[in-house]
Amino acid sequence: MTPVITQPIAWLDGPLWPYLALVLFAVLPTEIWRWLAVAFSRRIDPDSPALEWVRAVATALLAGIVAKLIVSPPGALAAVPLALRVGALVVTLAIMLFDRRRVLLAVLAGEATLIGGAYWLLA
Amino acid sequence: MSVSVEWSSWRVALAGMRDALSLPAWVVGFGLIGVGSLARDVGYPVEVAVLSTMLVWAGPSQVIFFASIAAGAAWSAIAIAVGFASLRFLPMTVAILPLLRRPGQSVWMQLLLAHYVAVTAWTEGLRRLPHVPPPQRVAYFLGFANTCMATSSIGTFLGYYLIGALPIPFAAGLLCLTPIFFLASLTAGLRHRGDAAAIMLGLVLAPICDRFIGGGFDLIVAGLIAGTIAFALRPKKAAP
Repeated sequence: MTPVITQPIAWLDGPLWPYLALVLFAVLPTEIWRWLAVAFSRRIDPDSPALEWVRAVATALLAGIVAKLIVSPPGALAAVPLALRVGALVVTLAIMLFDRRRVLLAVLAGEATLIGGAYWLLA
Repeated sequence: MSVSVEWSSWRVALAGMRDALSLPAWVVGFGLIGVGSLARDVGYPVEVAVLSTMLVWAGPSQVIFFASIAAGAAWSAIAIAVGFASLRFLPMTVAILPLLRRPGQSVWMQLLLAHYVAVTAWTEGLRRLPHVPPPQRVAYFLGFANTCMATSSIGTFLGYYLIGALPIPFAAGLLCLTPIFFLASLTAGLRHRGDAAAIMLGLVLAPICDRFIGGGFDLIVAGLIAGTIAFALRPKKAAP
């Protein structure tokens, strides 16, 4: 299955389209929150329920991205079986739940699982 | 390392650079290798990949942007998903700005400082800045954050060209670095059962929504449902 990539907006299309798309659909939706924070930083209570909800949705979204990248992965990662991709995540998660300061170790162990497993399965 | 009040701005910035190179700059640098390859997959030029690192400066937003284009999502859906993924910068920036604020500081300087707010610079900044004398913090933070941005730009550039040339297990390993690093840093930031619920529900709901909701809105729906349930499950404010 090769999905069709999102096509440029016709009347804005041209050689500079990728730059325009980056600014309109990635830079602006990201930067706006930093600007708003500067504008309102003296007035917003960082512990208010609204911001707690925002933080929860943002956390869930990030976790959702992780799951999507593992279940329907890009490029070469798709050549590795699903069970191994999930296994690498489980190794990382297990180490992090054991000791939450071991970010580097958890990342390296997850990577070692994936790369080692891929060599063993695909060789 | 400790920073003395008497040091010049440059020396303070160098201290920030050195602290960044002690580990964090390498972690983010490696984490953005995958973004380079995602940009290449959709046929965008390498300049756009590197610019996305410098201008967006948010790994998850960049991944959503390029991966959604690869999946054929609507532009409106991409902008909303990126916007929601970056919403956390609002509370994060609100939390870190008071540490960097100086009397007479211009709005432009605050906008510049806010631009560097992302997971790594923020967590490390909150941890390290209180130990830096207030007049030195801006120089220290800029030294630290710009070093992270430099290694990340190099990582993005390398990823763009490297992934296709590597044996499959290593290419797969680099592409898997993004989800693995995200999961690790999400878990590192766990504060209570609401956060744990948000992570678990997000992991489970996203692939389900992916199957049943089209048009590229699946991620937003999954995030809103999972986040709202997690919000309801958070411990009520008893102890501050």
